[in-house]
Amino acid sequence: MIQPEHFVEDEWVEWYRLTPVRRWLESEKLWQTYLALGGSLDPEPDTQSPFFDARAPRARPAHGRTGVRVLRRGGV
Amino acid sequence: MGGQACVFYGAAEFSRDTDFAILADAANLVRLRTALADLQADVVAVPPFELKYLRRGHAIHFRCQHPEAPGMRVDVMSVMRGVDPFSKLWRRRTTIELPHGTTCDLLALPDLVQAKKTQRDKDWPMIRRLVEAHYFQHRGRPTTAQITFWLRELRTPALLVEIAGRRTGLCRRLIPKRPLLAAAAARQVDELERALREEETAERERDKRHWLPLRKELEKLRHTTARRAQGV
Repeated sequence: MIQPEHFVEDEWVEWYRLTPVRRWLESEKLWQTYLALGGSLDPEPDTQSPFFDARAPRARPAHGRTGVRVLRRGGV
Repeated sequence: MGGQACVFYGAAEFSRDTDFAILADAANLVRLRTALADLQADVVAVPPFELKYLRRGHAIHFRCQHPEAPGMRVDVMSVMRGVDPFSKLWRRRTTIELPHGTTCDLLALPDLVQAKKTQRDKDWPMIRRLVEAHYFQHRGRPTTAQITFWLRELRTPALLVEIAGRRTGLCRRLIPKRPLLAAAAARQVDELERALREEETAERERDKRHWLPLRKELEKLRHTTARRAQGV
């Protein structure tokens, strides 16, 4: 019988072995961390979505500043 | 019906919007308007929040301004390509109760899998994970319905070969509905991989064709809205 570790990485094996409710609760923790770090709730534009509108205005982050920006770039 | 349902069933999606499948009737829309008012949610983009758009298969997009959910996006749909009508979805739903007592109604896994068969790249690995997780969770003592679901929806060649080898009769009976099962039964992994890719491509093309008239309608609505905003 094929085991999950035969074709998925360890973190997926662990994820599969959680109960559905446990997975839900783990994702809630991730959400709390994401929001505590100032993560935006505005979805990333999805150019493959049939709803995608390149001209649609997007919400600004709650802190009013721009999002992630490059401070230093590698040579390549 | 979106990211959190995927998390529950075993895929992992960090989706920042919240998607709801709803019954599109007048009474339910009144309830939905009340709930959205509580969230201080406004429609963003097109189409407008009207029954006729929901019934035609459009999604209505909202952004919440409530202090506890500032900027949260909510998308509402009622009709999805290849997915049964809402009344059937509701009968088959999964209801979960969270530790603090909140209950959530989720699309049943087979319905979620159908809803994910879209033109977008990101949905296809998700389907694979969803069905894999279900397989590993239930393969100890599966029902015929579960085995049928795996034979019809698994996207992992090794698992398809495994199950086709154990359930030869059922697999043979399902070949007319999913021809690639013939390759699974014959343990032809290369052929099976090719057929899975073809199956995905065909489904994505069907989704694009389905959305063609709807996208035209959205474009027209955007144009009208922009002209109105300019006072034309």
